[in-house]
Amino acid sequence: MKKFFDKDNFITSTFNGNQKKQSLIVSIALIVFFVFSAYTFFNAMYAFADCIGSIVSGSADAALRDASRSLPLFLSCFMSIWALLLCHGLFRNVDDVKRVKSIKKNAFALLAFAAVNFVAIIVMLIMGKFHSLVEGSPSPLYPLDSILYSLVFVALGVFALLYLKKFQEKLPYEVPSRGPVVKKARGLYCTFMSFWMLIAIFSFAAFTIGLFIQDFVNGYLFFSIALLLVYFVNCLFLAVWEFYYNELKEEKRKEFLFPLALCGLIVSVLVAVLYFVGLGVNLDGPSNAGFGILPVAFAASVNIATMIVVATPLIVSVVALIKGLLLRKKA
Amino acid sequence: MKEKTRLLPLLLVPFLLSGCGQVNKYAEHLDDYVFTMKYHKNFNILQLTDIHWNANTSTFESKNYLDKVLAETQAHIKAAQGNDAKIDLVELTGDMFMLSNAFQVDSFLKYFEQKSEEYGFKYAAIWGNHDRHGIYNPNWLGQRFAKAKNSMYFEPNDDVYGRSNFIINLTADGNKGSAVKWQISNLDSGASFSETSVSPFRDYDYIRQDQTKWWLAEHAAAGGTVPGIAYYHIPQDENLKLYEARATYTNKFFKLEEFADNGNEEYASDFLDTAKDHNLRGAFMGHAHNVDWTVKWDNLIVGLGVKTGIELYYAHVDVNSDDPAMKEGLASVGINENFDLIGASLVTITDEEDNIQGEFDLEHLYLNERKSGDFVRWVKF
Repeated sequence: MKKFFDKDNFITSTFNGNQKKQSLIVSIALIVFFVFSAYTFFNAMYAFADCIGSIVSGSADAALRDASRSLPLFLSCFMSIWALLLCHGLFRNVDDVKRVKSIKKNAFALLAFAAVNFVAIIVMLIMGKFHSLVEGSPSPLYPLDSILYSLVFVALGVFALLYLKKFQEKLPYEVPSRGPVVKKARGLYCTFMSFWMLIAIFSFAAFTIGLFIQDFVNGYLFFSIALLLVYFVNCLFLAVWEFYYNELKEEKRKEFLFPLALCGLIVSVLVAVLYFVGLGVNLDGPSNAGFGILPVAFAASVNIATMIVVATPLIVSVVALIKGLLLRKKA
Repeated sequence: MKEKTRLLPLLLVPFLLSGCGQVNKYAEHLDDYVFTMKYHKNFNILQLTDIHWNANTSTFESKNYLDKVLAETQAHIKAAQGNDAKIDLVELTGDMFMLSNAFQVDSFLKYFEQKSEEYGFKYAAIWGNHDRHGIYNPNWLGQRFAKAKNSMYFEPNDDVYGRSNFIINLTADGNKGSAVKWQISNLDSGASFSETSVSPFRDYDYIRQDQTKWWLAEHAAAGGTVPGIAYYHIPQDENLKLYEARATYTNKFFKLEEFADNGNEEYASDFLDTAKDHNLRGAFMGHAHNVDWTVKWDNLIVGLGVKTGIELYYAHVDVNSDDPAMKEGLASVGINENFDLIGASLVTITDEEDNIQGEFDLEHLYLNERKSGDFVRWVKF
């Protein structure tokens, strides 16, 4: 076990003091924006699920009306996720050129989302869609809170661009490199990673919110614990990938991926089994005690939404296992 | 290794805890489920259903709409029954919320508390399938309704299915112990369930047999003969059976989508079949927003309330539509212009205080906000 945590396994072991400090700062920023992304994504999913509910019930007009009122919720989610991408690009990239490109791209996207949000709220105020700047619902200060939130991200975007300008595209901070993605698999890889990231982000919010809103009484204790574990494992896997696996030196990644994936597979199978046992105990569990943290309202009539969340760590483990085997073979 | 195996029994803890907690037997606590109100001729019950405050809701606009519904109803009642008449009870028949949060729940309760004081009514909240679906703990939601001053709500840890089943007895003097004139039942018709743990689909829930037994016990405790009205959220299998045989029954209003019961004989409720033989005179529910179809089944009137407000979805009634169901509904209400199927439903119990016959009037209110002046129609069943 000790060999997995030997400090010489990690890229940071080659860093000097200043680089370590910068690495820590970026890691903290990454965590902060991950948390922001999680909760804004959770809120956006709530708004989105209601719109989808309207569409499938034949009221597309209601969906459109609701989506426009909740545009600041959706844009807040985009801003948070792009801030996360910005930090991630700063944290890891293939090389400096790509890193600078990625920072620029994400900073401009961030500024665009913030500007659109700001303008949209003002237009909706003028048009009477919002009756005041603090109309309230879903939060007491909505939509003012969304404007303030935009300003934070405008500041972040401007800071990122100034940072690039100051160092004239030769950043002082050496990043733990990420291997280039094979071109022919790029589309599949990016889709898979984006999907996994979104599930993990949602799972983090669902797990932490679930601790407070799950019904642990009325016979739903076991189901609620099993459901929370499903979400916990989803965000745990992403954390392991980001803060452990990606921090390893290239040769150690090749060595550790297979055992890591195997552990992941065992854990995810156990959690999946636990979930289905829990569901067996409370067949009405999702609708009576779990919908608050289930991804979409349609969980009311289909179980697919939950199945996707349960299946994600299994899929991630299997993919990692295959990759681990291939790396071993190559070695 | 021995140490590790000793820990294995800990795995059983969740199972053991799942069943823990004091579960009361309803039969020993029948009185706990009962609220009382004073009965009088022209007792008015306003049904608001599927208000659906959610993440996208402008509560500002929704409150404006509810203001209009309450003001219109009060004015209608006064015009028909005299200046002393008022809304006595508001029945919130489920899906008050969906994808909502604690702030919105608080705003909702604050609004109804304020209106209760203004109009002098009490309100009763019934669980809908979506009320369990928000950023709050369902137990917390129950506690908020239980603690609200003008709310009638009871959530025991008992052996009856559902989070909350309770009774409002309309008695001679408004107190327990005096003669019960009418009985209003509030049942939790659940949400949905999987038939097995790997079922890809979920069935809508239904009123279970133990709820029927509980209802019978409460009815017997009130004398066994009092007329009653039941409010709940999800339509049961009888709605569809009656609709299919509608040619034989007096019926009215619109059926523009499925009733959305689970449609499965295996999970059919026995509630209406049983309660009908015990002087249940009315059964009103919500859930299917595009339906307010109502039928007189012998002495029992079964119908869906008019959806309240514009959240989630609602039907646009179109006089030029070729849809036979739309035409049938329009012919039944005698309205010749387009409107949206939103508003409220009003039950007025018309029995004299000393001559209870089980009579009531049912009216549907269609209220649409329009810039050119609101559309308001009352249609009597």
